[in-house]
Amino acid sequence: MAKEELKIGEVSKPRFEFRTFGRDFEEAAYLMSRLSVPVPEKVWERTSEEIYIVSKTNDINNTKVRDGKMDIKTFVQEKDGLEQWNPLMKAEFPIGADVLKNEVYPAFKVAVPEFDKDTYTFEEFMEMVKSNPDLLAVKVEKQRFGYMVNDTICEVANVWINGAMVVTVNSESTELDDIKKTIADLGLEGVENINYLQAIKRIVGWIDKPLAN
Amino acid sequence: MAEKSYIPKYEFRMFGQSFPELEKQITANALQTGEQKMNDVYLLTAADNENNVKIRGGKMDMKVLEETLQGLERWAPYMIGDFPLDVEVIKSTVFPALGIPAPAFSRNEYLLTQFLNELVYHDPDLFVAHTSKTRKEFEFNGCELEITDVTINSACIKTICIESENWEKVLETKKIFNISSAQENINYPTALKRIMGLVEIPGMWQSIKQ
Repeated sequence: MAKEELKIGEVSKPRFEFRTFGRDFEEAAYLMSRLSVPVPEKVWERTSEEIYIVSKTNDINNTKVRDGKMDIKTFVQEKDGLEQWNPLMKAEFPIGADVLKNEVYPAFKVAVPEFDKDTYTFEEFMEMVKSNPDLLAVKVEKQRFGYMVNDTICEVANVWINGAMVVTVNSESTELDDIKKTIADLGLEGVENINYLQAIKRIVGWIDKPLAN
Repeated sequence: MAEKSYIPKYEFRMFGQSFPELEKQITANALQTGEQKMNDVYLLTAADNENNVKIRGGKMDMKVLEETLQGLERWAPYMIGDFPLDVEVIKSTVFPALGIPAPAFSRNEYLLTQFLNELVYHDPDLFVAHTSKTRKEFEFNGCELEITDVTINSACIKTICIESENWEKVLETKKIFNISSAQENINYPTALKRIMGLVEIPGMWQSIKQ
């Protein structure tokens, strides 16, 4: 079967991903920049502010608010240490109570609260999150630099989690072998695959484990 | 057990990603007196704001907020205890300082690893911040200053502090270095709690919402 040509910023089949977090990936970032083919100017540098909502009882759904939308991705499978995540839903605020009840709270894997309104604004939803001790809203600011190495979409990013900075590097593709080659080429063999949920939970002290460096 | 040799100082502390102009001014004008690296383990709860509870160099190290004056804080050490810690000390001093009920105890005294593994890590109300600090120390205008790079559970932040037994000297030094009177004084427990989501960051949602 022919490989699907990946294009940065475009929808593709669910991709596998290697991502890790730490304080210093200077060497990997340098190699990424040198090994990359030219990429569209729009992905050279991107910044965003997001709210991740982490749940003590959920490690398989990535739930965040970006650009005024609730955005959920779900873990599909792991192969050879690489993770495959699939978009599950996107919904704009104000958000319907039925969406919260049937899609958002089930993704958090916490008890579904009583809803006394038909729709909820972002602020009202945040108040609901704050009132649940198993949920935590975390401010995540990103400065992402996009690359394309071995036909995999790559990035190195500075990420501020509630104001404290970490660095993340990643490689994603529908093709496992391309990611593995990229990991090797970037000098990242043996480095732990850490997704956003895991990184945030470690930084906020929910998981007592350090990042990759 | 208790030590009281340290004279409490008035403190102004700020946290952020970088303070390039202020750092430049401090390094150019103040006398650097040392540089230290240290690893501290802070114990945090959502409940308490007036105690600073940490483990440094294998010792339990606790401070209490004694006074706030002119936007400055004066913290006083009130217990520096070696492990193994007596269960009575843990029960009557450590947990009350954290503002949460003491758990059931199965030992008369606790080694550091026992304290962490048996009493801290399993308590859903207790959060641990592993910090590594590289602290550059300075003297200027009768004050001690520090510029410290801190990693908190592997994430990086910077803090600058001015402290002195004389609160007027701290305010004077702030003025000399053009630190705005609007600049928030943030102590370590508060900064750690904000990063760990135990207290909300002021204005957290403003730039996110539509």
